[in-house]
Amino acid sequence: MTALVVLERVTFTYAGAVRPALADVSLEIAAGDVMAVTGESGAGTSTLLLVATGFAPRVVGGTLAGTRRIAARRCGVVFARPWTQLTGLCSTVRDEVAFGPASLGLPRATVLAAARNAMETLHIEQLAGREPSHLSGGELQRVMVAAALAMRPDVLALDDPAAELDPEAADALYDVLPVVAAAGTGVLLATPDSERAGRVATRAVALASGRIVAEGSPAEVLTDTEVARIARAAGCPPPYPWDVPSLLRRVER
Amino acid sequence: MNGCDVRLEGVRYAYGAREALRGVSLRIGAGEQVALVGPNGAGKTTLTRLLVALRRPGAGRVTVGDWEVAHKRPDEMAQRVGYVFQHADHQLFARSIRDDVVFGPRRLGRSEALVPGVLEEMGLAAAAGLHPYDVPAPLRKLVALAGVLAMEPCVLVLDEPTAGLDRVQRDRVVSALQRRAEAGVTVLAVSHDLGFVAEVAARVVVMGDGRIVADRPARELLYDREALAALGLRPPPTVEISGALGLRGSPVRTTEVVAVMGGIRWKQMPE
Repeated sequence: MTALVVLERVTFTYAGAVRPALADVSLEIAAGDVMAVTGESGAGTSTLLLVATGFAPRVVGGTLAGTRRIAARRCGVVFARPWTQLTGLCSTVRDEVAFGPASLGLPRATVLAAARNAMETLHIEQLAGREPSHLSGGELQRVMVAAALAMRPDVLALDDPAAELDPEAADALYDVLPVVAAAGTGVLLATPDSERAGRVATRAVALASGRIVAEGSPAEVLTDTEVARIARAAGCPPPYPWDVPSLLRRVER
Repeated sequence: MNGCDVRLEGVRYAYGAREALRGVSLRIGAGEQVALVGPNGAGKTTLTRLLVALRRPGAGRVTVGDWEVAHKRPDEMAQRVGYVFQHADHQLFARSIRDDVVFGPRRLGRSEALVPGVLEEMGLAAAAGLHPYDVPAPLRKLVALAGVLAMEPCVLVLDEPTAGLDRVQRDRVVSALQRRAEAGVTVLAVSHDLGFVAEVAARVVVMGDGRIVADRPARELLYDREALAALGLRPPPTVEISGALGLRGSPVRTTEVVAVMGGIRWKQMPE
Protein backbone atom coordinates (compact mmCIF):
# COMPACT_ATOMS: atom_id res chain seq x y z
CA MET A 1 0.00 0.00 0.00
CA THR A 2 1.15 3.55 -0.71
CA ALA A 3 2.34 5.49 2.31
CA LEU A 4 0.22 8.61 2.72
CA VAL A 5 2.10 9.95 5.75
CA VAL A 6 5.57 9.07 6.94
CA LEU A 7 6.94 10.31 10.26
CA GLU A 8 10.59 9.61 11.05
CA ARG A 9 11.80 10.43 14.56
CA VAL A 10 9.42 13.37 14.76
CA THR A 11 9.39 15.57 17.84
CA PHE A 12 6.78 18.29 18.20
CA THR A 13 6.65 21.01 20.84
CA TYR A 14 3.78 23.48 21.30
CA ALA A 15 4.73 27.15 21.44
CA GLY A 16 5.74 28.08 24.99
CA ALA A 17 5.74 24.47 26.20
CA VAL A 18 8.73 23.18 28.13
CA ARG A 19 8.45 19.55 27.09
CA PRO A 20 7.59 18.16 23.66
CA ALA A 21 4.07 16.80 23.20
CA LEU A 22 5.45 14.17 20.81
CA ALA A 23 8.95 12.77 21.10
CA ASP A 24 10.87 10.69 18.59
CA VAL A 25 7.79 9.28 16.90
CA SER A 26 8.19 7.16 13.76
CA LEU A 27 5.06 6.00 12.01
CA GLU A 28 3.70 5.26 8.55
CA ILE A 29 0.06 5.56 7.51
CA ALA A 30 -1.02 3.90 4.29
CA ALA A 31 -4.22 3.79 2.28
CA GLY A 32 -6.46 1.11 3.76
CA ASP A 33 -5.14 1.49 7.31
CA VAL A 34 -7.42 2.01 10.28
CA MET A 35 -4.80 2.92 12.83
CA ALA A 36 -5.97 3.18 16.43
CA VAL A 37 -4.01 5.61 18.59
CA THR A 38 -4.40 5.08 22.28
CA GLY A 39 -2.96 6.50 25.49
CA GLU A 40 -3.98 8.20 28.68
CA SER A 41 -5.12 11.80 28.63
CA GLY A 42 -2.13 14.02 27.86
CA ALA A 43 -0.17 11.18 26.23
CA GLY A 44 -0.07 13.01 22.89
CA THR A 45 -2.78 11.19 20.93
CA SER A 46 -4.52 14.38 19.73
CA THR A 47 -1.18 15.95 18.90
CA LEU A 48 -0.19 12.94 16.79
CA LEU A 49 -3.34 13.46 14.73
CA LEU A 50 -2.52 17.13 14.20
CA VAL A 51 1.09 16.39 13.25
CA ALA A 52 0.26 13.50 10.93
CA THR A 53 -2.29 15.60 9.04
CA GLY A 54 -0.08 18.68 8.79
CA PHE A 55 -2.26 20.87 11.04
CA ALA A 56 0.63 21.12 13.49
CA PRO A 57 2.61 23.28 13.35
CA ARG A 58 1.02 24.93 10.26
CA VAL A 59 -2.25 25.88 12.00
CA VAL A 60 -1.59 25.51 15.71
CA GLY A 61 2.00 26.78 15.81
CA GLY A 62 4.90 25.13 17.63
CA THR A 63 8.07 23.52 16.29
CA LEU A 64 8.60 20.23 14.55
CA ALA A 65 11.89 18.35 14.36
CA GLY A 66 12.64 15.17 12.44
CA THR A 67 11.31 14.16 9.05
CA ARG A 68 7.69 14.28 7.99
CA ARG A 69 6.48 13.44 4.49
CA ILE A 70 2.80 13.92 3.71
CA ALA A 71 1.92 12.45 0.32
CA ALA A 72 -1.82 12.78 0.96
CA ARG A 73 -3.42 15.52 -1.12
CA ARG A 74 -6.08 16.22 1.44
CA CYS A 75 -6.34 15.45 5.15
CA GLY A 76 -9.53 15.70 7.15
CA VAL A 77 -9.57 16.11 10.92
CA VAL A 78 -12.54 15.86 13.26
CA PHE A 79 -11.77 17.21 16.70
CA ALA A 80 -13.03 15.81 19.97
CA ARG A 81 -15.10 18.99 20.42
CA PRO A 82 -17.06 19.03 17.17
CA TRP A 83 -18.90 22.29 17.74
CA THR A 84 -15.62 24.15 17.33
CA GLN A 85 -15.66 23.06 13.68
CA LEU A 86 -19.05 24.43 12.69
CA THR A 87 -18.72 26.99 9.91
CA GLY A 88 -21.31 29.25 11.52
CA LEU A 89 -22.39 30.12 7.97
CA CYS A 90 -24.82 27.32 7.21
CA SER A 91 -28.44 27.11 8.31
CA THR A 92 -28.89 23.42 7.48
CA VAL A 93 -26.88 20.26 8.05
CA ARG A 94 -26.96 19.63 4.28
CA ASP A 95 -25.21 22.96 3.64
CA GLU A 96 -22.76 22.34 6.46
CA VAL A 97 -21.70 19.00 4.97
CA ALA A 98 -21.56 20.52 1.47
CA PHE A 99 -19.46 23.49 2.61
CA GLY A 100 -16.13 21.63 2.38
CA PRO A 101 -16.50 20.25 -1.15
CA ALA A 102 -18.03 23.57 -2.25
CA SER A 103 -14.99 25.42 -0.93
CA LEU A 104 -12.83 23.22 -3.17
CA GLY A 105 -14.53 24.78 -6.19
CA LEU A 106 -16.10 21.53 -7.38
CA PRO A 107 -19.11 21.61 -9.72
CA ARG A 108 -22.47 21.97 -7.93
CA ALA A 109 -23.68 18.48 -8.86
CA THR A 110 -20.46 16.95 -7.51
CA VAL A 111 -20.74 18.95 -4.28
CA LEU A 112 -24.33 17.84 -3.69
CA ALA A 113 -23.51 14.21 -4.47
CA ALA A 114 -20.52 14.25 -2.11
CA ALA A 115 -22.65 15.72 0.69
CA ARG A 116 -25.44 13.21 0.07
CA ASN A 117 -23.05 10.25 0.03
CA ALA A 118 -21.32 11.37 3.21
CA MET A 119 -24.65 11.81 5.02
CA GLU A 120 -25.78 8.37 3.85
CA THR A 121 -22.53 6.80 5.03
CA LEU A 122 -23.00 8.31 8.51
CA HIS A 123 -26.75 7.52 8.54
CA ILE A 124 -27.71 11.14 9.13
CA GLU A 125 -29.96 11.79 6.10
CA GLN A 126 -32.80 12.59 8.51
CA LEU A 127 -30.82 15.52 9.91
CA ALA A 128 -30.28 17.15 6.49
CA GLY A 129 -32.77 19.96 7.00
CA ARG A 130 -31.94 20.68 10.65
CA GLU A 131 -30.21 23.80 11.95
CA PRO A 132 -26.66 22.73 12.91
CA SER A 133 -26.59 24.79 16.10
CA HIS A 134 -29.71 23.00 17.40
CA LEU A 135 -28.22 19.50 17.16
CA SER A 136 -27.38 17.35 20.16
CA GLY A 137 -23.70 16.61 20.78
CA GLY A 138 -23.96 13.15 19.25
CA GLU A 139 -25.80 14.36 16.17
CA LEU A 140 -23.24 17.10 15.67
CA GLN A 141 -20.33 14.70 15.99
CA ARG A 142 -21.70 12.59 13.13
CA VAL A 143 -22.35 15.70 11.04
CA MET A 144 -18.74 16.78 11.47
CA VAL A 145 -17.45 13.35 10.43
CA ALA A 146 -19.71 13.53 7.37
CA ALA A 147 -18.41 17.02 6.59
CA ALA A 148 -14.82 15.75 6.71
CA LEU A 149 -15.70 12.71 4.61
CA ALA A 150 -17.48 14.82 1.98
CA MET A 151 -14.12 16.36 1.09
CA ARG A 152 -12.87 12.88 0.18
CA PRO A 153 -9.71 13.08 2.24
CA ASP A 154 -6.81 10.70 1.64
CA VAL A 155 -6.22 10.74 5.38
CA LEU A 156 -9.09 11.02 7.85
CA ALA A 157 -8.08 11.70 11.44
CA LEU A 158 -10.76 11.31 14.10
CA ASP A 159 -10.24 12.37 17.70
CA ASP A 160 -12.46 10.30 19.99
CA PRO A 161 -15.26 10.41 17.39
CA ALA A 162 -17.78 8.53 19.52
CA ALA A 163 -17.34 10.53 22.74
CA GLU A 164 -20.75 12.12 22.25
CA LEU A 165 -22.53 9.14 20.73
CA ASP A 166 -24.98 6.67 22.16
CA PRO A 167 -23.73 3.05 21.96
CA GLU A 168 -25.69 2.18 18.82
CA ALA A 169 -24.50 5.28 16.98
CA ALA A 170 -20.95 4.65 18.25
CA ASP A 171 -21.00 1.11 16.87
CA ALA A 172 -22.37 2.39 13.56
CA LEU A 173 -19.68 5.05 13.31
CA TYR A 174 -16.88 2.59 14.02
CA ASP A 175 -18.34 0.18 11.46
CA VAL A 176 -18.02 2.92 8.83
CA LEU A 177 -14.26 3.21 9.30
CA PRO A 178 -13.21 -0.04 7.55
CA VAL A 179 -15.49 0.92 4.66
CA VAL A 180 -13.85 4.33 4.37
CA ALA A 181 -10.40 2.74 4.57
CA ALA A 182 -11.26 0.13 1.95
CA ALA A 183 -12.10 2.97 -0.44
CA GLY A 184 -8.45 4.08 -0.24
CA THR A 185 -8.35 6.41 2.76
CA GLY A 186 -5.91 6.08 5.64
CA VAL A 187 -7.85 6.42 8.88
CA LEU A 188 -6.24 7.59 12.12
CA LEU A 189 -8.40 7.01 15.15
CA ALA A 190 -7.49 8.42 18.57
CA THR A 191 -9.71 6.86 21.19
CA PRO A 192 -9.82 5.67 24.80
CA ASP A 193 -12.34 3.01 23.69
CA SER A 194 -10.09 -0.04 23.25
CA GLU A 195 -13.08 -2.37 22.90
CA ARG A 196 -14.60 -0.67 19.85
CA ALA A 197 -11.24 0.25 18.33
CA GLY A 198 -10.14 -3.36 18.63
CA ARG A 199 -13.04 -4.44 16.45
CA VAL A 200 -12.21 -2.19 13.48
CA ALA A 201 -8.53 -1.24 13.62
CA THR A 202 -5.97 -2.88 11.35
CA ARG A 203 -3.03 -1.55 13.40
CA ALA A 204 -2.57 0.25 16.68
CA VAL A 205 -0.07 2.40 18.53
CA ALA A 206 -0.02 3.29 22.21
CA LEU A 207 1.50 6.57 23.41
CA ALA A 208 2.77 7.57 26.84
CA SER A 209 4.30 10.98 27.54
CA GLY A 210 4.47 11.68 23.81
CA ARG A 211 6.38 8.53 22.92
CA ILE A 212 5.24 5.38 21.17
CA VAL A 213 5.36 2.62 23.79
CA ALA A 214 3.66 -0.13 21.80
CA GLU A 215 2.94 -0.72 18.14
CA GLY A 216 1.41 -3.70 16.39
CA SER A 217 -1.85 -5.50 15.89
CA PRO A 218 -4.91 -4.29 17.86
CA ALA A 219 -4.83 -7.49 19.95
CA GLU A 220 -1.23 -6.74 20.95
CA VAL A 221 -1.67 -3.05 21.71
CA LEU A 222 -5.26 -2.40 22.77
CA THR A 223 -4.97 -4.40 25.95
CA ASP A 224 -6.32 -1.87 28.46
CA THR A 225 -9.94 -2.97 28.32
CA GLU A 226 -12.46 -3.26 31.15
CA VAL A 227 -12.31 -7.05 30.86
CA ALA A 228 -8.51 -6.94 31.17
CA ARG A 229 -8.76 -4.75 34.26
CA ILE A 230 -11.29 -7.02 35.90
CA ALA A 231 -9.25 -10.13 35.07
CA ARG A 232 -6.13 -8.51 36.53
CA ALA A 233 -8.00 -7.49 39.69
CA ALA A 234 -9.36 -11.04 40.01
CA GLY A 235 -5.86 -12.49 39.99
CA CYS A 236 -5.47 -13.62 36.36
CA PRO A 237 -1.76 -13.78 35.46
CA PRO A 238 -0.58 -11.77 32.41
CA PRO A 239 -1.09 -11.53 29.50
CA TYR A 240 -4.55 -10.32 30.43
CA PRO A 241 -7.54 -11.35 28.30
CA TRP A 242 -8.97 -8.33 26.49
CA ASP A 243 -12.52 -9.56 25.85
CA VAL A 244 -14.99 -12.05 27.37
CA PRO A 245 -14.22 -14.99 25.01
CA SER A 246 -10.48 -14.67 25.68
CA LEU A 247 -11.21 -14.47 29.43
CA LEU A 248 -13.23 -17.68 29.27
CA ARG A 249 -10.29 -19.42 27.60
CA ARG A 250 -8.12 -18.53 30.61
CA VAL A 251 -10.44 -20.04 33.23
CA GLU A 252 -9.70 -23.60 34.44
CA ARG A 253 -12.94 -25.57 34.21
CA MET B 1 -25.17 17.00 52.94
CA ASN B 2 -28.55 15.29 52.68
CA GLY B 3 -30.20 15.05 49.30
CA CYS B 4 -33.40 16.67 48.13
CA ASP B 5 -35.97 14.91 46.03
CA VAL B 6 -36.54 15.96 42.44
CA ARG B 7 -39.92 15.90 40.70
CA LEU B 8 -41.05 16.54 37.17
CA GLU B 9 -44.76 16.45 36.43
CA GLY B 10 -46.10 16.48 32.88
CA VAL B 11 -43.12 18.46 31.62
CA ARG B 12 -42.98 19.55 28.00
CA TYR B 13 -40.28 21.52 26.22
CA ALA B 14 -39.87 22.48 22.56
CA TYR B 15 -37.03 23.97 20.53
CA GLY B 16 -39.13 26.00 18.10
CA ALA B 17 -41.45 23.52 16.40
CA ARG B 18 -39.49 20.46 17.54
CA GLU B 19 -40.70 18.94 20.79
CA ALA B 20 -37.78 17.69 22.88
CA LEU B 21 -39.83 16.65 25.94
CA ARG B 22 -43.35 15.33 25.37
CA GLY B 23 -44.87 15.12 28.83
CA VAL B 24 -42.27 13.74 31.23
CA SER B 25 -43.13 12.79 34.81
CA LEU B 26 -40.39 11.52 37.08
CA ARG B 27 -39.67 11.42 40.79
CA ILE B 28 -36.18 10.89 42.13
CA GLY B 29 -36.13 10.31 45.87
CA ALA B 30 -33.80 12.19 48.20
CA GLY B 31 -30.46 10.38 48.28
CA GLU B 32 -31.30 8.21 45.26
CA GLN B 33 -28.78 7.58 42.44
CA VAL B 34 -30.37 7.53 39.01
CA ALA B 35 -28.85 7.15 35.56
CA LEU B 36 -30.60 8.69 32.57
CA VAL B 37 -29.86 6.82 29.34
CA GLY B 38 -31.21 6.82 25.82
CA PRO B 39 -30.21 7.61 22.25
CA ASN B 40 -28.83 10.93 21.06
CA GLY B 41 -31.58 13.51 20.77
CA ALA B 42 -33.92 11.70 23.23
CA GLY B 43 -34.20 14.78 25.45
CA LYS B 44 -31.84 13.79 28.27
CA THR B 45 -29.78 16.98 28.36
CA THR B 46 -32.89 19.14 27.96
CA LEU B 47 -34.45 17.43 30.97
CA THR B 48 -31.41 18.06 33.15
CA ARG B 49 -31.25 21.71 32.21
CA LEU B 50 -34.79 22.22 33.50
CA LEU B 51 -33.57 21.21 36.95
CA VAL B 52 -31.28 24.21 37.23
CA ALA B 53 -33.56 26.74 35.50
CA LEU B 54 -31.28 26.95 32.47
CA ARG B 55 -34.41 26.20 30.47
CA ARG B 56 -38.05 26.75 31.42
CA PRO B 57 -40.64 24.10 30.59
CA GLY B 58 -43.39 24.98 28.11
CA ALA B 59 -45.79 23.04 30.34
CA GLY B 60 -45.65 21.06 33.57
CA ARG B 61 -43.91 21.53 36.87
CA VAL B 62 -40.38 20.96 38.18
CA THR B 63 -39.51 20.93 41.88
CA VAL B 64 -36.31 20.30 43.84
CA GLY B 65 -37.18 19.65 47.47
CA ASP B 66 -39.72 22.31 48.36
CA TRP B 67 -38.51 24.71 45.66
CA GLU B 68 -40.53 25.38 42.53
CA VAL B 69 -37.84 25.74 39.89
CA ALA B 70 -40.13 28.03 37.89
CA HIS B 71 -39.71 30.67 40.63
CA LYS B 72 -35.92 30.43 40.78
CA ARG B 73 -33.00 31.78 38.80
CA PRO B 74 -30.04 29.53 37.83
CA ASP B 75 -27.81 31.16 40.46
CA GLU B 76 -30.41 30.44 43.14
CA MET B 77 -30.72 26.83 42.01
CA ALA B 78 -26.94 26.47 42.52
CA GLN B 79 -27.66 26.52 46.28
CA ARG B 80 -29.16 23.05 45.91
CA VAL B 81 -28.25 21.58 42.55
CA GLY B 82 -24.71 21.16 41.26
CA TYR B 83 -24.71 20.86 37.48
CA VAL B 84 -21.78 19.51 35.47
CA PHE B 85 -22.13 20.27 31.77
CA GLN B 86 -21.26 17.72 29.16
CA HIS B 87 -18.60 20.12 27.95
CA ALA B 88 -16.61 21.63 30.77
CA ASP B 89 -15.73 24.62 28.63
CA HIS B 90 -19.27 25.87 29.25
CA GLN B 91 -18.55 26.43 32.93
CA LEU B 92 -14.86 27.29 33.34
CA PHE B 93 -13.73 30.89 33.30
CA ALA B 94 -11.23 31.62 36.09
CA ARG B 95 -7.50 32.10 35.56
CA SER B 96 -6.45 29.09 37.53
CA ILE B 97 -7.95 25.72 38.29
CA ARG B 98 -7.95 26.56 42.02
CA ASP B 99 -9.81 29.86 41.41
CA ASP B 100 -12.38 28.03 39.33
CA VAL B 101 -13.03 25.49 42.07
CA VAL B 102 -13.12 28.18 44.79
CA PHE B 103 -15.59 30.31 42.85
CA GLY B 104 -18.67 28.22 43.62
CA PRO B 105 -18.48 28.05 47.43
CA ARG B 106 -17.35 31.69 47.57
CA ARG B 107 -20.28 32.80 45.42
CA LEU B 108 -22.68 30.87 47.66
CA GLY B 109 -21.11 32.33 50.80
CA ARG B 110 -20.01 28.87 51.93
CA SER B 111 -16.77 27.64 53.40
CA GLU B 112 -13.85 27.06 51.03
CA ALA B 113 -12.49 24.39 53.36
CA LEU B 114 -13.47 21.57 51.01
CA VAL B 115 -11.49 22.92 48.06
CA PRO B 116 -8.08 21.31 48.76
CA GLY B 117 -9.69 17.92 49.41
CA VAL B 118 -11.79 18.09 46.26
CA LEU B 119 -8.76 19.07 44.16
CA GLU B 120 -6.93 16.07 45.62
CA GLU B 121 -9.91 13.80 44.99
CA MET B 122 -9.95 14.75 41.30
CA GLY B 123 -6.16 14.42 40.96
CA LEU B 124 -5.83 18.16 40.34
CA ALA B 125 -3.75 19.24 43.35
CA ALA B 126 -0.50 19.48 41.38
CA ALA B 127 -2.20 21.33 38.50
CA ALA B 128 -4.21 23.75 40.70
CA GLY B 129 -2.13 26.77 39.72
CA LEU B 130 -2.49 26.20 35.98
CA HIS B 131 -4.96 27.95 33.72
CA PRO B 132 -7.89 25.58 33.01
CA TYR B 133 -7.33 25.96 29.28
CA ASP B 134 -3.69 24.91 29.59
CA VAL B 135 -4.69 21.37 30.58
CA PRO B 136 -6.23 18.71 28.29
CA ALA B 137 -10.01 18.72 27.79
CA PRO B 138 -10.62 15.59 29.92
CA LEU B 139 -8.87 17.24 32.86
CA ARG B 140 -11.05 20.33 32.42
CA LYS B 141 -14.01 18.05 32.89
CA LEU B 142 -12.63 17.04 36.28
CA VAL B 143 -12.11 20.73 37.12
CA ALA B 144 -15.79 21.37 36.40
CA LEU B 145 -16.80 18.44 38.61
CA ALA B 146 -14.44 19.58 41.37
CA GLY B 147 -16.02 23.05 41.27
CA VAL B 148 -19.46 21.55 41.73
CA LEU B 149 -18.40 19.14 44.49
CA ALA B 150 -16.81 22.01 46.40
CA MET B 151 -20.25 23.61 46.68
CA GLU B 152 -21.64 20.53 48.47
CA PRO B 153 -24.89 20.46 46.53
CA CYS B 154 -27.70 18.24 47.81
CA VAL B 155 -28.45 17.20 44.21
CA LEU B 156 -25.74 16.41 41.67
CA VAL B 157 -26.70 16.50 38.00
CA LEU B 158 -24.05 15.35 35.56
CA ASP B 159 -24.25 15.22 31.78
CA GLU B 160 -22.00 12.50 30.32
CA PRO B 161 -19.43 12.82 33.11
CA THR B 162 -17.14 10.08 31.76
CA ALA B 163 -17.17 10.87 28.02
CA GLY B 164 -13.62 11.35 26.78
CA LEU B 165 -11.99 10.43 30.11
CA ASP B 166 -9.26 7.85 30.37
CA ARG B 167 -9.68 4.96 32.80
CA VAL B 168 -7.84 6.58 35.70
CA GLN B 169 -9.94 9.73 35.40
CA ARG B 170 -13.09 7.69 35.04
CA ASP B 171 -12.24 5.79 38.23
CA ARG B 172 -11.90 9.12 40.05
CA VAL B 173 -15.36 10.20 38.95
CA VAL B 174 -16.85 6.84 39.96
CA SER B 175 -15.24 6.98 43.42
CA ALA B 176 -16.31 10.59 43.96
CA LEU B 177 -19.93 9.77 43.11
CA GLN B 178 -19.94 6.63 45.23
CA ARG B 179 -18.71 8.70 48.18
CA ARG B 180 -21.42 11.34 47.63
CA ALA B 181 -24.03 8.58 47.32
CA GLU B 182 -22.96 7.18 50.69
CA ALA B 183 -23.31 10.68 52.12
CA GLY B 184 -26.93 10.79 50.91
CA VAL B 185 -26.55 13.17 47.97
CA THR B 186 -29.15 12.75 45.21
CA VAL B 187 -27.45 11.96 41.89
CA LEU B 188 -28.82 12.15 38.35
CA ALA B 189 -26.26 11.21 35.71
CA VAL B 190 -26.84 11.22 31.96
CA SER B 191 -24.60 8.58 30.45
CA HIS B 192 -24.11 6.26 27.50
CA ASP B 193 -21.49 4.38 29.47
CA LEU B 194 -23.29 1.42 31.04
CA GLY B 195 -20.10 0.35 32.81
CA PHE B 196 -20.21 3.68 34.63
CA VAL B 197 -23.96 3.32 35.22
CA ALA B 198 -23.34 -0.07 36.82
CA GLU B 199 -20.88 1.52 39.25
CA VAL B 200 -22.91 4.52 40.37
CA ALA B 201 -26.64 4.06 39.75
CA ALA B 202 -29.24 2.02 41.60
CA ARG B 203 -31.96 2.90 39.11
CA VAL B 204 -31.96 3.51 35.36
CA VAL B 205 -34.44 5.74 33.55
CA VAL B 206 -34.46 5.31 29.78
CA MET B 207 -35.61 8.11 27.49
CA GLY B 208 -36.62 7.90 23.86
CA ASP B 209 -38.04 10.62 21.65
CA GLY B 210 -38.84 13.00 24.49
CA ARG B 211 -40.51 10.42 26.73
CA ILE B 212 -39.57 8.01 29.47
CA VAL B 213 -39.69 4.54 27.94
CA ALA B 214 -38.33 2.47 30.85
CA ASP B 215 -37.64 3.01 34.55
CA ARG B 216 -36.11 0.01 36.35
CA PRO B 217 -33.63 -0.96 39.05
CA ALA B 218 -30.13 -0.95 37.52
CA ARG B 219 -29.37 -4.49 38.68
CA GLU B 220 -32.49 -5.79 36.96
CA LEU B 221 -32.17 -3.87 33.68
CA LEU B 222 -28.45 -4.55 33.23
CA TYR B 223 -29.15 -8.30 33.35
CA ASP B 224 -32.10 -8.07 30.96
CA ARG B 225 -30.26 -8.67 27.71
CA GLU B 226 -33.42 -8.53 25.59
CA ALA B 227 -34.57 -5.22 27.05
CA LEU B 228 -31.09 -3.76 26.57
CA ALA B 229 -30.92 -4.97 22.97
CA ALA B 230 -34.32 -3.40 22.26
CA LEU B 231 -32.84 -0.13 23.52
CA GLY B 232 -29.73 -0.55 21.36
CA LEU B 233 -27.57 -1.22 24.43
CA ARG B 234 -25.17 -3.98 25.42
CA PRO B 235 -24.60 -5.11 29.01
CA PRO B 236 -21.52 -3.62 30.69
CA PRO B 237 -18.37 -5.81 30.84
CA THR B 238 -19.04 -6.70 34.48
CA VAL B 239 -22.42 -8.19 33.56
CA GLU B 240 -21.02 -9.89 30.42
CA ILE B 241 -18.35 -11.56 32.54
CA SER B 242 -20.82 -12.48 35.26
CA GLY B 243 -23.17 -14.03 32.70
CA ALA B 244 -20.38 -15.91 30.90
CA LEU B 245 -18.98 -17.35 34.13
CA GLY B 246 -22.38 -17.96 35.73
CA LEU B 247 -21.51 -15.85 38.78
CA ARG B 248 -23.98 -15.81 41.68
CA GLY B 249 -25.87 -12.81 43.04
CA SER B 250 -26.17 -10.65 39.87
CA PRO B 251 -23.07 -8.53 40.56
CA VAL B 252 -22.88 -5.30 38.53
CA ARG B 253 -20.04 -3.30 40.10
CA THR B 254 -16.41 -4.17 39.36
CA THR B 255 -15.67 -4.76 43.05
CA GLU B 256 -18.65 -7.11 43.32
CA VAL B 257 -17.61 -9.11 40.25
CA VAL B 258 -13.98 -9.33 41.34
CA ALA B 259 -15.09 -10.52 44.81
CA VAL B 260 -17.23 -13.31 43.35
CA MET B 261 -14.40 -14.28 40.95
CA GLY B 262 -12.13 -14.94 43.93
CA GLY B 263 -12.39 -18.73 43.64
CA ILE B 264 -11.44 -18.97 39.97
CA ARG B 265 -8.34 -20.93 38.99
CA TRP B 266 -6.51 -19.34 36.06
CA LYS B 267 -4.52 -20.98 33.31
CA GLN B 268 -1.04 -19.50 33.15
CA MET B 269 -1.05 -18.77 29.41
CA PRO B 270 -3.78 -18.54 26.76
CA GLU B 271 -4.27 -21.63 24.64
